[in-house]
Amino acid sequence: MPVPFEALIPLGLITGFFGVSGFFFQKLKTSINEGQPPRYGLDRWDRVMLDRDYRLTGTQRGQTHQTAAPSAFATSSAWNLEKEHL
Amino acid sequence: MSTFREASHITTGKFVDPTPAPAEAAHPEVGATSAPLKSAAFFIGSYCKDYNEDFMLCKEENNDPAHCLKEGRKVTRCAMDLITKLRENCEKEWEAHYKCLEKHNQEYYACRKPERTFNECVFSKLKLEKVIPGASNTPVHLRENTIYN
Repeated sequence: MPVPFEALIPLGLITGFFGVSGFFFQKLKTSINEGQPPRYGLDRWDRVMLDRDYRLTGTQRGQTHQTAAPSAFATSSAWNLEKEHL
Repeated sequence: MSTFREASHITTGKFVDPTPAPAEAAHPEVGATSAPLKSAAFFIGSYCKDYNEDFMLCKEENNDPAHCLKEGRKVTRCAMDLITKLRENCEKEWEAHYKCLEKHNQEYYACRKPERTFNECVFSKLKLEKVIPGASNTPVHLRENTIYN
């Protein structure tokens, strides 16, 4: 009996859809994180350090090894506010 | 008191303190971000051990931020001093290591090769060695094979 090629069409479609969406999702994640994989498993220390990195460099995942912080760093800290629950 | 908790994810804005800055000049702060600091962490620990211990003991007495400002400034100055030294001597190896860390969620296990070159450079130029306190057998950063050990 010859190969049932019609059965391979939905297989190809499913593989194609998985591949295309996975490709675009990967591109989206790396573009948000400036070409690096995203950070995961973050605890409070990591979140505070990420906020400090943002204040020092101006971008979310930028890194720098300068010795002294710019003078604006001393006054750029801010507290996040959440909605009041009354 | 340590009852502060972070704001939930749904935040409505940022609060910037409106009180004017104090009259005295602001002191310099460390300008390195998280990945370079993590990369140089053990060297900062051994180079600035005395000042760090001073600060921790001071905090032990009284957790008020205003109590340990002097010791804190010494810690900052020591860390900045080491960062200057690392920039002069081992900048390329340091950059390679922390860029590798950034690609791997800042996990040490993923970046042993650049770490080895960086540690060798720092040991030869600055005579600082990475020591993991309380390591029983071969420390994990010196093992050749971490899977079948």
